[in-house]
Amino acid sequence: MAKQPSINTNDTKTLKRLRELASNVVEAAAKKRDPHVDIPTRSLSNVKYNKTRRFIEMGSNTNRRQLFNLSQAKSYMQTMLVASGATQLIEQGKTTSIRGLYYLLKHTIEGTKEETFADQGECDPVIEDCEVLLNSLREELHLYAQKRGEMVGEIVIADSGDEIDCARMGSGGYGIPSIVEPSVIEFRKCNAKFILHVEKDTVWQRFNEDKFWRKHKCILTHGSGQPPRGVRRMLHRLHNELKLPVYCLLDNDPWGYYIYSVIKQGSINLAYESQRMAIPDAKFLGLRSKDFKECQLSDSVKINLNDTDRKRAKQIMGYPWFAHKKEWQKEIKLLLDNGFKLEVEALISKDISYVTEQYTPARLKAKDWLD
Amino acid sequence: MAASSPSPVEIIPPPSSNGSSRHSAEGNGSPSKARRRATAQSMAAGQRDISVSEFFAKNRHLLGFDNPRKALLTTVKEAVDNALDACEEAGILPEIWVHIQRVGQDRYKVGVQDNGPGIVKKQIPLIFGKLLYGSKFHRMRMSRGQQGIGISAAGMHGLLTTGKPVKIISKVSKREPAHYYEIQIDTKRNVPEILNGRGEGVEVPPNHEGQKAIQKHGIEWIELDHGTRVTIELEARYQRGRGSVDEYLEQTAIANPHVAIHYTDPDDNSRDYQRVTDQLPPEPKEIKPHPYGVELGRLVTMLNDAKEPTIAQFLIGSFSRVSPSIARKLCETIKITTRANPKKIGRHEADLLYQAIQKTKIPAPSTDCIAPIGEELILKGLRQVVPGEFYAAATRPPAVYRGNPFQIEVGLCWGGVSPAQRVSREGLSEMLEESDARTLRQFLITTFQGLGADAADKILAAANVGIRVSPGRLKAAEIDHLHEALQNVNVSEGQSMNVFRYANRVPLQFQAGACAITQTVMQTNWRAYGLSQSRGSLPSGPITLMIHMASVWVPFTNESKEAVACYPEIQKELRLALQAVGRKLGMFLRRRLRVRHEGERRNLFLRYIGEVATAVSRINQADRKKLYDQLMEVAKKRTAEADVELDDRGKPIEEDAVDFGEHVIIVSHEEQKTAETAKNGTA
Repeated sequence: MAKQPSINTNDTKTLKRLRELASNVVEAAAKKRDPHVDIPTRSLSNVKYNKTRRFIEMGSNTNRRQLFNLSQAKSYMQTMLVASGATQLIEQGKTTSIRGLYYLLKHTIEGTKEETFADQGECDPVIEDCEVLLNSLREELHLYAQKRGEMVGEIVIADSGDEIDCARMGSGGYGIPSIVEPSVIEFRKCNAKFILHVEKDTVWQRFNEDKFWRKHKCILTHGSGQPPRGVRRMLHRLHNELKLPVYCLLDNDPWGYYIYSVIKQGSINLAYESQRMAIPDAKFLGLRSKDFKECQLSDSVKINLNDTDRKRAKQIMGYPWFAHKKEWQKEIKLLLDNGFKLEVEALISKDISYVTEQYTPARLKAKDWLD
Repeated sequence: MAASSPSPVEIIPPPSSNGSSRHSAEGNGSPSKARRRATAQSMAAGQRDISVSEFFAKNRHLLGFDNPRKALLTTVKEAVDNALDACEEAGILPEIWVHIQRVGQDRYKVGVQDNGPGIVKKQIPLIFGKLLYGSKFHRMRMSRGQQGIGISAAGMHGLLTTGKPVKIISKVSKREPAHYYEIQIDTKRNVPEILNGRGEGVEVPPNHEGQKAIQKHGIEWIELDHGTRVTIELEARYQRGRGSVDEYLEQTAIANPHVAIHYTDPDDNSRDYQRVTDQLPPEPKEIKPHPYGVELGRLVTMLNDAKEPTIAQFLIGSFSRVSPSIARKLCETIKITTRANPKKIGRHEADLLYQAIQKTKIPAPSTDCIAPIGEELILKGLRQVVPGEFYAAATRPPAVYRGNPFQIEVGLCWGGVSPAQRVSREGLSEMLEESDARTLRQFLITTFQGLGADAADKILAAANVGIRVSPGRLKAAEIDHLHEALQNVNVSEGQSMNVFRYANRVPLQFQAGACAITQTVMQTNWRAYGLSQSRGSLPSGPITLMIHMASVWVPFTNESKEAVACYPEIQKELRLALQAVGRKLGMFLRRRLRVRHEGERRNLFLRYIGEVATAVSRINQADRKKLYDQLMEVAKKRTAEADVELDDRGKPIEEDAVDFGEHVIIVSHEEQKTAETAKNGTA
């Protein structure tokens, strides 16, 4: 990762917020009051769809977390631990993965057999809590998430000063790091005209092997399912700084719809980061509910919807950013009427390169996408 | 009885010749049949009276002498029950000495002495040497013994197994001589035979000369103004644990807090159960039978024996709760005049009368004939014997089944240590030697009350000894391990409820599964009171339950008087009594749980405060110690409820104001400790 300068202005700001948090505890204790923190709520109930900016914004609701409350005591303690861990990292000018922080803070509580954190799954949400609580981004806390997602295409970038030509990555790709801020990644040269984002590795491999990006002059990315922040931030920067349109090729199921929704509007969980991640102009290229008929796929590629799928689809239909879009309502309704879902790989049943040589080019040419 | 099952061996050959016998058989038209083996005449020769004593001598198991171990218990039990009945009837606070001596391999001498009123000279041989002789069978009155079989059967068992007679010495008052008899029962004729003093017995003068006589005849006697001692030598086995003499005496002490028992076991250990009250139970009244409880056969007999000149007078005079108007109504129903002679009532009319009784509404019998132990004394008795933390008792009002009044009482003790934890190292090794269990696991389960299979497995795992090891073959080091495990393994979870059953203050130790009492305990939903219980079994937890059924006639399932029969009326009363103590236990356990929860809450906060203080001081270099102390104070303020003082085991010492109602004792931990040390001191 990038070597951070010992203490820069950004860090001073973060440190100030951390110290404020700590002195609140000291103050409460001195006044014999319950120490507590108010954490902005990270749930659907506390997000608003901003129609003019076309992405999700966080509301003003907060959750109070108290030390002297049986069900909150432990998470309060964990919040303080994460804050102290972040302080340590900033003061020492180092960064670590969220897994690293988990190990840094994990220890047995004195006089008991209890661990501060039982597993990483307990630590991760607390880190997100701290981000919203301190109004600081993850990288401002000197943390980064596990790297996931790859990129290949007609672009040359510099990662921490090393020049990388994404057109010369062989059969693999450039692994998109978790922090892609301008301080780490610079765009040097770009011949691409658009970005094609696919859901997962297998489809991405297909496109890469067929050198789709060379033929069509584009950048090809994937995010291993739900794209991590690094990928989203990278897409956001490519879109805004290089003015490249973004097209998404995702599965035809509620999960695929939601991935598109996250790329376009931002996620509910990280609504506070929408501003620097959401790409309101991203398009949904496929797979569409109509494709089963249109592409004359065989019955054997159908996967029946289960109850969770149906529930989730209806939920997504009701999201304010989909509610007023007739095309989307039609799309999801058709999925429900079909009673089955389709993976992008289903197109391979027609021909191995059907998706790269016919489906995608045709759709792009016809501008047949959902917005 | 005998006529229905003559054994083939006993058949005497027919007196007439074979030829005539065959001829008559052929003459009967059954030529294909083999020769008749006996004729009606020849069979008649083998048919004769059997004496009760002979019958019981052959069927000893019916009276509780099925095996040597039980024989010892039954002998002690019958003697003690008789002694207590005698004392109470005479209004004397009972004091009982039980002395068991080992006199040979599998041979024991049982001596039981009481301070009762004594027995007059003439009656002694009959009481101890004749079966079915007694005062209790014919009356409707609450007493321990019922049939008059017990003690004489014990004597008979002794005689049959060792050939030694029963020795009795009885003294009526200080001034009069005591009488000493050695008696054996003539099983053929069911009459006593006196062996000493040329068939007359021996007199022991009241003064110092008496001492000489006692020396001379080798009489065992603890000097008292009045009382009786019976000594029986019998083939038996002495074994501690479940179903033992020790357990019987312990349970007797619980239900009879007015009795003092001095017990010396075969190993010369003595144990004293002091009386906790000087109050004798009120004398139960004798009542006449209630019409609902009388069966047709009995009714016919009573009619035949009637002394009253008219049927109306007979009904009023022989039954309880039959008023002149009810008598008249009964006569009207069966269409006979009230002035009919009861002796002349025929079978058919008796049958009609019986049916009329069932259909007529007759008030329930008066219930003052029952003397319950009472809540206060149940609590005292339980506390004297079973150590625990919480005691509750409930006595139900009297009720009636089939015309017999009865009353149910329940005492409950929660907490304390299990018998498995109380056993000493020496006691354990003796028990292991005596045990006839095949495996160690079986030994643990059968020896210790309330120790379930789960708990036994836990203990064995902790002791690191094999499950299948024979208890007798354990090495000294292994016994040490086992003893340690018994002390330390927490068995309260795997422990199942201990149920002490009593009928008229007599402990019932066997056939728990067949007993209405156990069944009702199992059917009661104890989960509602904070205990864990799997379907159709006893709840688990460190609980001792004593359940007493007092009645003029306890419906036992068989002659050995070990299980109460299931009458819906009895089960209903049992259930109500169990629920009454259960509710109180539930309140206690909930409060205990709440205090403990508060304590846990405090602990939880305390646990995290340290972490929070460290984290905060790391961020802003605040004084960790100061912050910690301040947070600690806030924590204390927040968990004030947990300030019910907690001792080292997390149990509350002080009580808050929970209204348990009457008849509850809660023992604080300190009291419990002093009680335990006091007990160890005397033991």
